[in-house]
Amino acid sequence: MTEVSRLTIGPKPGINYPVDVLYCGNCSMPIEYCEYYPEYEKCKQWLERNLPSEFEKIKICDDNTEGAGDEEKKRQKRGGKGMMKTKKKEDGPKQICVSRAPRGKKKSVTVVTGMSSFGIDLKVAAKFFGTKFACGSSVTGDDEIVIQGDVKDDLFDVIPEKWPEIDEDLIEDLGDQKR
Amino acid sequence: MFKKFDEKESVSTILQLKSSIQKGIRSKLLDLYPNLDGYLDAILPKKDAMRIVKCHDHIEIIINSGGDLLFFRHREGAWIPTLKLLHKYPFFLPMEQVDKGAIRFVLSGANIMCPGLTSPGAEMIEAPKGTIVAVMAEGKQHALAIGVTALSTNDISKINKGVGIENIHYLNDGLWQMKPVK
Repeated sequence: MTEVSRLTIGPKPGINYPVDVLYCGNCSMPIEYCEYYPEYEKCKQWLERNLPSEFEKIKICDDNTEGAGDEEKKRQKRGGKGMMKTKKKEDGPKQICVSRAPRGKKKSVTVVTGMSSFGIDLKVAAKFFGTKFACGSSVTGDDEIVIQGDVKDDLFDVIPEKWPEIDEDLIEDLGDQKR
Repeated sequence: MFKKFDEKESVSTILQLKSSIQKGIRSKLLDLYPNLDGYLDAILPKKDAMRIVKCHDHIEIIINSGGDLLFFRHREGAWIPTLKLLHKYPFFLPMEQVDKGAIRFVLSGANIMCPGLTSPGAEMIEAPKGTIVAVMAEGKQHALAIGVTALSTNDISKINKGVGIENIHYLNDGLWQMKPVK
């Protein structure tokens, strides 16, 4: 059988390394393991959208194993420890809040919160704001960027332009806030 | 090992390594995995700056300049490749194959029990006790876990009871979930 040689150690001839492995966007595992993920349905949807050719293959496999599946149903399914836990995804309200806070008597800073919920790297974003507005900009908290100077109004144009996934309506103006 | 690992909480510092230490690690890796010869330069280019991520519980992870996680170790133990790296270069660890029924347990972090390694769907390559092995699965192409043999493969087939391979790192554990470090 070829199986024996499959497990042997050492590079296989005819394969170029590094091997490209397809990972599922939903469960992050190689797509062949999706079926063991509690949210297999979601994985399937992801596959259908992103890798239609792979999805077709799985479909064909499913049809072939249909007969075996019926037999499996008769047996009692074991729950408990054998089930993988889904990782908790935080699907909180995605929104960016901008506000102005005073800095000294006549200067102010702009506080931007909620960017990380869009999967944006805060450090990169802070650097971008700094260069864009030619001012100081830093990550000050878990999900907070402080931009020196009052650039609140500009942000409404700049953010959707830089990150197209953020709509202007998702940015909320909190107005002036006390420090 | 990484069941409760969390990127935000478990990482303490990231260090740039001295080149002499980098050299040491490189030669150690080659000692450990002689099959890596010729490919190590692709994994860790000589001029690339290696960094080390120190985590809680005495775990250290080697990352390259791009931030990809490559190898990890516990205390002064052997360097173990991460699954992401192993998927790219699957040949340098001895592989043990478990049967289908074991997959879901392994994926939730269980140690691999002997019967799962001796049943018809499974297959073993000879390895002494304490070897780092890749855990493959029946009918699957890619590794699903990395472990250390708790018994030699001969003993596993003889005793056929209890833990055969200790699960160190598996798909969807804390280390797998960890994103490339900036």
